[in-house]
Amino acid sequence: MNRAIYDALETIYPAERILMRDAQLLPYESDALTAFNTKPGAVVIPLNEDEIIATVRLCHELDLPFVARGSGTSLSGGSLPIADGLVIGLNRLNRIKRLDPRQRIAVVEPGVVNLHISQAAQPYGLYYAPDPSSQSICTIGGNIAFNSGGAHCLKYGMTSNHVLGLKVVLADGAVTEFGGESLEGVGIGPDVIGLFIGSEGLFGIALEITVRLMPQPERYRTVLAAYDDLGCAGDAVSMVVASGLLPGAMEIMDRLAIKAAEASVNAGYPDAEALLIVELEGEAPQVEAEFEQLNGIIAESGAFETRVAQSEEERARIWKGRKSAFSAVGRLSPDYIVQDGVVPRSRLGEALLEINALKQNYGLDVANVFHAGDGNLHPLILYDGREPGALRKAEQLAGEILALCVALGGSITGEHGIGMEKRDYMPAMFSEEELDIMQALRRAIDPKEIANRGKMFPGGEAPALALQGMHPLEQQGVISRE
Amino acid sequence: MRHQIVSDDLRAPEMAEAVEKCVHCGFCLAACPTYNLLGEEMDSPRGRIYLMKNVLEENLPAAEAQPYIDRCLGCMACVPACPSGVEYGDLLVGYRALQEKQRQRPPLDALARKLICETLPYPRRFRLAALSGKLGKALLPVLPDAFASMLSLLPDKLPPARPLPAVLPAQGERRGKVALLLGCVQQVLAPEISHAAAQVLARNGVEVHMPRQQGCCGSILLHVGEEEQARDIARRNFGCIPADVDAIITTAAGCGSGMKDYELLFKGQADAARAAAFSHRVIDFSAYLARLGLRETTAGFSSQRRVVYQDACHLLHAQSHQSEPRALLNGIANLRLVEIADAGMCCGSAGTYNIDQPEIAAELSRRKVASILAAEPDLVVSGNIGCITQLRQEFARQNLTLPVAHIAEVLLQAAPA
Amino acid sequence: MTANTLRGTSEIQDCVRSNERVHVVGNGSKSALHPQSGGAALADVSALSGIVEYQPSEYTVTVRAGTPVAEIAAALAEQGQYLPFDPLLPDCATIGGTVASNLSGSRRYRYGGLRDFILGAAVVDGAGRAFRVGGKVVKNSAGFDLSKFLVGSLGQYAIMTELTFKVFPDVPRFRSLSFRYEQLDAALDAIATISGSAYELDALDLLPPPPANKGEQAQGWALMARLGGFAETLPQRAERFVESVKRETATMEVRELDEADELWNPLAGLRGAAVVKVVLSPRQVPALDAAIKRSQRRYGVGGNVAWVATDDLAALERALLDAGLRGLCLLGAVERPIIGAPVERQLSARVKQVLDPQRKLV
Repeated sequence: MNRAIYDALETIYPAERILMRDAQLLPYESDALTAFNTKPGAVVIPLNEDEIIATVRLCHELDLPFVARGSGTSLSGGSLPIADGLVIGLNRLNRIKRLDPRQRIAVVEPGVVNLHISQAAQPYGLYYAPDPSSQSICTIGGNIAFNSGGAHCLKYGMTSNHVLGLKVVLADGAVTEFGGESLEGVGIGPDVIGLFIGSEGLFGIALEITVRLMPQPERYRTVLAAYDDLGCAGDAVSMVVASGLLPGAMEIMDRLAIKAAEASVNAGYPDAEALLIVELEGEAPQVEAEFEQLNGIIAESGAFETRVAQSEEERARIWKGRKSAFSAVGRLSPDYIVQDGVVPRSRLGEALLEINALKQNYGLDVANVFHAGDGNLHPLILYDGREPGALRKAEQLAGEILALCVALGGSITGEHGIGMEKRDYMPAMFSEEELDIMQALRRAIDPKEIANRGKMFPGGEAPALALQGMHPLEQQGVISRE
Repeated sequence: MRHQIVSDDLRAPEMAEAVEKCVHCGFCLAACPTYNLLGEEMDSPRGRIYLMKNVLEENLPAAEAQPYIDRCLGCMACVPACPSGVEYGDLLVGYRALQEKQRQRPPLDALARKLICETLPYPRRFRLAALSGKLGKALLPVLPDAFASMLSLLPDKLPPARPLPAVLPAQGERRGKVALLLGCVQQVLAPEISHAAAQVLARNGVEVHMPRQQGCCGSILLHVGEEEQARDIARRNFGCIPADVDAIITTAAGCGSGMKDYELLFKGQADAARAAAFSHRVIDFSAYLARLGLRETTAGFSSQRRVVYQDACHLLHAQSHQSEPRALLNGIANLRLVEIADAGMCCGSAGTYNIDQPEIAAELSRRKVASILAAEPDLVVSGNIGCITQLRQEFARQNLTLPVAHIAEVLLQAAPA
Repeated sequence: MTANTLRGTSEIQDCVRSNERVHVVGNGSKSALHPQSGGAALADVSALSGIVEYQPSEYTVTVRAGTPVAEIAAALAEQGQYLPFDPLLPDCATIGGTVASNLSGSRRYRYGGLRDFILGAAVVDGAGRAFRVGGKVVKNSAGFDLSKFLVGSLGQYAIMTELTFKVFPDVPRFRSLSFRYEQLDAALDAIATISGSAYELDALDLLPPPPANKGEQAQGWALMARLGGFAETLPQRAERFVESVKRETATMEVRELDEADELWNPLAGLRGAAVVKVVLSPRQVPALDAAIKRSQRRYGVGGNVAWVATDDLAALERALLDAGLRGLCLLGAVERPIIGAPVERQLSARVKQVLDPQRKLV
């Protein structure tokens, strides 16, 4: 990073909030996807929105690419730095500015941790619904960039469905606000909130976010059903859907995922080929009636064991196991790739069979964890990066799984986003013209392409997840991939 | 994470395994006190693992990483928070020991550290130092920072030394036979804790051995990377603690977790097996008593008390004792246990941390006290002298009169007449 | 205006390419959205009708933009499902027009509005390009979500040809209740209490007192609540709910309402030269209400939308500007459909620049 840039940053930040030493930069070179690492030129730590705005304007003026970063939990490399670019670390903007229990809204800064909103709302019997597995640490700013979901999306939607108002700084430095406190969000005029959310940091940075809070359900019924066949668990989901029930969550884990989760948090899961978690929530009389119906369905579905959480602690334990599953796979394998494909729910069984066949072809283990209610698959491809060619093999398998999802009429990402990891698969989902239009839109907002440069779109100047051979930048030693 | 750690250090395999298991998911960030305070990646467990990995791989000079590793409290809150099972302690303790050998400290720092290492683990020396410390306090304004922070922690007056008998017989039918570790700092600053613990155990039918020759367990030295000295000092206890006791009881969190790590500390040493056998018998006072079960219901307090239990990191995170002390306290009549926000966050004591990193320690104390006060307790109870001292000091600084007691003292106070 | 009845994507593309200005219309059910000015070519897409794909087990339905809402509702009802955003004008509107004007009905209170249920779309933009936005599965986060941007876009960025929605199983039975409050403040307190409670209502609308005749006592505000669920649990749920409302709020009277067709049509009975949708939060209701006391009005979705009928649009606009609110005129002869506080321009102007650089779509 050249002197002129440092001098310019110094007009905004005191020296201790400009990180430039090796020991300060190395820890920022990856997010939760360690397959990529790139050392940034500098990291700045703003404390308020004026500093963020000034930084973005400076980047625009100096053609300096930047990445906004919260807790760095992206599984798609969404917050991977740009070589010699700037990382804007937002986690000290972590104030809940206002929590209004009467209007059931919270106005927060982008660095607020997802779970902290629910904790602050808890005394009023309210909570913030989207619950990504990393909710204890991931920030709302990142949730907005990637339209994060979670286990409970089927009924109440993803991040986008819970944001009522936004103040943002666009990549060229323009500051704009949309929506407000109404449940209708923007309501009149195009839904710019919906467009901004999920734009993966390519449009700009959210400065202030108004989220809606929901009343905590009166009653939960969390059922754990064990199967000796993954297909049966999938069929059970179809039966639940066909019955007209609308559970808050339906999750499936296969043997490998169960093993990892069990080793991690002692969730007390039964020993099974597949586990199905179904959670009903709502008014007590209604939930109890639904529970009776659900029990009948589960009994018919061939579960060899059924457990029902008897207390809030037991419910929390069931969910802790599920939410730890990804990271817990670190116990089984030194390296893994998490996939995030979506298939139409009715084709879940087909997808699972095909993944099974693929993994045998490749000779790799795949653990399956998925949001069955949404048809959102998270196959975790296990590999040992120390073996020559193992990463490439795992990447190829990942690519085939994504192609399968698209072929079945689904999507290459349900909630993790394209980021770095899946950008080369965008053409599988979108036509050239569609990609051109998205690119044009990005350039209309960010003419210099400085905001999260190199993400989402195939090609570009940042390191690519090339399937054959080393990337030119890798050959030159500019970037490295583990 | 993949790594290229090449080291012939004995602990390298454990260090490498910790790095390998880390998947960089960031779940540890939420649990880390310094990350909560400083909000920078290099002050998080994940960031520190990454830094240590790079130093061990020789990609980064150790001196560059040092400030961030030094800031780690060693509270181990990240360990239970880690879904992939990274043994962060194995990496940190091994790394610190490795670096300490090669490290050049500035002269005053080195002197202060030497003073710590040569006094704290030795009750007699520490007592003398503490007494002379009163003199030092008068000089506080003119002393360098490293000394100032040390001295400010010393109490104004020391309690009189109270020797304990070598054996306290069990009352009534004997239900167990244990050795009680008296500790080093604790013996000087709060001898009443061991007295209370011994009496509570005896009342509950446990024969308590307290050999006079026993000394520090070495944990405090291990914590700062002084491995050799830690082993030497630990060996003294192997000899004097009877081999036939059911358990070796600790009343301080750091001692317990440190002794449980003897296996790794003595790895490759001639007396490794002996250290491991010793280590397996170590158990915290509250856990032992909760498992044994109190013989009689306690008389309890005459009027309702709201009590906050302050979790010591090395009990909660390093030894997973969350429920046992609470179960004991809940058994006391008229005692209402109230939980505080962020109970798992370190109070800033953390061994010698409050001496090494006084500013961070002070901020953590302030936050801890704020959470405690929000629960409006009449009494704060902990199972660890470090936390007790830290809280008492912060209460005093804020002119609060809230009492802080060791759980053994509360059990003794509430025992039937 | 020249009217062109367009039957397919290529005809729409031709229409856009061969005209300088194009105004899209479906069934024309919202008169205020079609101002008689400018000489734009009229692109009538009402013939672009029919259900393309409906798989009840997927909770998704894909329809052509000109499909009448009623047709979709009927097809879903056969499978026990519904559009949870509750399209506002189920008898006469097309689904495309409903999306373009973002008109959800009272039942959106339960699960969310239009923006929460749109999954994807096929469009023809102002440059005549035909392409897809969003996806066809219930969860998808690939690419920019332009499908949500279409919600409320009034046909000014792209013409929708096909739309995909998430649908839900419908509830078999309803119970509707009305609670009377003497003053607006008490009714709003009740809304806050009910909305923050664990009672899961299908709808919650507030009706102002009808104008009192001389000598008659004012009737107070009527807060209408609707419960939906299994027939066997409804009596118990209704009883618990009523008890709670009586206990927690200052209600003067509770009445059971007849589940008649028009009960939950928020526009029912609103008569005026113009009918306007206003977006607001419950906190903003008192100030607005004080300014529009003489208008017929109804506050929907727990006080998050106001439906206002007025003979004096200029006065309404002044009231909206004073309160920092925005309104969308649905019915009536108006100069421009959006009144009150201006809409966001920074981001939407850039979308316009990309999708309709020649500003053809009006």
